[in-house]
Amino acid sequence: MENIETKLREEASRLLLEKKVDVIIGYEKGTLPLTATPCFITKPEDTEKLVWNNLCTQNLAKYVHDLITQHKNSQKRVKPEDKKKKIIGVVARGCTTRSLIIHLQERQYGRDEVYIIGVPCDGYIDGKGIKVAVGGADIVEGSIDGGQVKMQTSDGDKTVAFRDVLADNCRTCRFNNPIISDVMIGSPAPAMNPDAEYEDVKEFEGKSTEERWAYFTKEMDKCIRCYACRQACPSCYCPTCFVEQSQPQWVGIGEDPSDTQVFQLMRLYHMVGRCVDCGSCISVCPMGVDLRKFLKKIDKDCFEFFGNRAGSSMEDMPPLGKYDEHHDKQDFIFNP
Amino acid sequence: MEKRLIKKDALAGIAKKMAEKLHVWAPVKKEDNVLFAPLKKDNEPFFAYLNSKNAPKNVFFPHTETMMKYTRTPNGMVFSSEENKADEAVLFGVRPCDAHSFVLLDKLFDQEKYKDSYYISKRQNTTVISLACVKPPYSSCFCTSVDGEPVSADGADILLTDIGSDYLVEFITSKGEKLASYFGETKADTVAETKKNEIAVKAKDAIKSKIPAHEIKPILDKNFDNPFWNTIHGKCLACGTCTYMCPTCHCFDISDEVKGSDGVRIRSWDSCMFPLFTKETSGHNPRSSQKERWRQRTMHKFKYYVDMFNAIACVGCGRCVMSCPVNIDIRKIVEDISKL
Repeated sequence: MENIETKLREEASRLLLEKKVDVIIGYEKGTLPLTATPCFITKPEDTEKLVWNNLCTQNLAKYVHDLITQHKNSQKRVKPEDKKKKIIGVVARGCTTRSLIIHLQERQYGRDEVYIIGVPCDGYIDGKGIKVAVGGADIVEGSIDGGQVKMQTSDGDKTVAFRDVLADNCRTCRFNNPIISDVMIGSPAPAMNPDAEYEDVKEFEGKSTEERWAYFTKEMDKCIRCYACRQACPSCYCPTCFVEQSQPQWVGIGEDPSDTQVFQLMRLYHMVGRCVDCGSCISVCPMGVDLRKFLKKIDKDCFEFFGNRAGSSMEDMPPLGKYDEHHDKQDFIFNP
Repeated sequence: MEKRLIKKDALAGIAKKMAEKLHVWAPVKKEDNVLFAPLKKDNEPFFAYLNSKNAPKNVFFPHTETMMKYTRTPNGMVFSSEENKADEAVLFGVRPCDAHSFVLLDKLFDQEKYKDSYYISKRQNTTVISLACVKPPYSSCFCTSVDGEPVSADGADILLTDIGSDYLVEFITSKGEKLASYFGETKADTVAETKKNEIAVKAKDAIKSKIPAHEIKPILDKNFDNPFWNTIHGKCLACGTCTYMCPTCHCFDISDEVKGSDGVRIRSWDSCMFPLFTKETSGHNPRSSQKERWRQRTMHKFKYYVDMFNAIACVGCGRCVMSCPVNIDIRKIVEDISKL
């Protein structure tokens, strides 16, 4: 990946120098071992900080939406002739571009407001999984080299295979290369294993209603309502989330299990045709709630009923956002 | 006070025996997380842990707590108070940093001007048994920078230290001594004590992560408007992970949940990271963006708490450092402030 990093820095530096973009959202090295963290680069000399590796976890489309919204709010009281445009550069892999497509389809901003620096992706490390892989020991230092993750831990040196600690969503990713881009860094990465995409869901579907409900309530019991999942999600961009509305108040703010379930269920339903399986919500969850099981079920239904894969192309509009009077099957309304 | 020795494998048995009579909170493994949970017949204490996922502050300051209940009747409102209902409890096996957090929380919830009866009733009825860190649990631990030590009795009623073959049991307070009968008969000799002191020194030296926490108060006094505050929050997701995991974060919200003619007034955790925090009825929010919220979090821990109680509201457990989804590192923030 080092070659890609060098090219990425060069390209980012050029874009800033030529004033093609106002800011570049990318990743830099984190302060903890085996981490990378989002960063915002505005000066060409700072592009040296940029990294691109298997530790880059967050879906940066979230920040694209945030920055554009902030900018638009700041321009509200500016005279039309003085209004300034802001162009956001973003380092984007497959799932990031899917989220950008969703934003564009939902008309959150114009295509000319975002400059997409496409990067190939062969998956990222599951941050919680790797801790489990080393038996819960403290990871003091780590590096990825030749398909191996080498670590110094509080229980001595440990090595695990990269493929064993790959995040679940990356393992079965269908779109690991950018779908749209303004510039592409490096050549496309080899395909992952999309055929296994719904294996977990199929197993889950095979269970009884009681078992599925038991699994759902068990997972929801872990939730502490920190809202990290919602905050990290590029598709969760409502200016005020329904859980924060107070007139009327839709859900209680306490620890009552039903309130937590209502929050999560509502979020899940809002993800229909909008979840790109980037894994951000799962990676940020401090308690390890298995949100993916439910999101993938919705994703599978969405594909089977409407043939839609969220954000997979600019033309394929999200099922809840399109109306086709000749082909919509509406029998279910009359024959439930 | 008295000191005793117990065999190392006896610890879980002691906790379980206590749980027969008292309400015992202990570290329990739940899937991949270690959490403080009530010890019941169907779960086992797990003492081979580094530190619990979330801080045990919820024992005294639960996420959600009923403050009072009320009912509307034809004769007017009838109120019932819910306070002072705490059972006698034991918090078994907390790390010294977390025990230190109770001392800090006491300063706020149990002060001369204001006494929080909900917190105090639980705190007074609970015996805290600390389990010393003979080696630092995480490389991101920085307790020694914020007035803590890995082997410390601060905030504890009983301190347990692993001295090799046995645990040295030190009864720190008379509250702790009341549980002495659970810890066998073997009196500790001076050899054990010397061993413990050696271990304590070694453990302290092993904390390598250090931050200039005490140096930044005068800098914060003068730098409320410094452009530095523009540099932290950009990547912040505005989730509540850091504050919910933190042993000393204690901001709460009070709300009424009404169903028909019955109402419950609850208080629940709030977070300065949330957009709703400090939002006023008018819709105005004096902390309108994540920038102001991050300044508040930093100031509260390293300036306001020092102003009010002469103590830093951080125990160096590193939970916020490890749990932050986007790696916002309080150690780096403090470091950067010290250079302003």
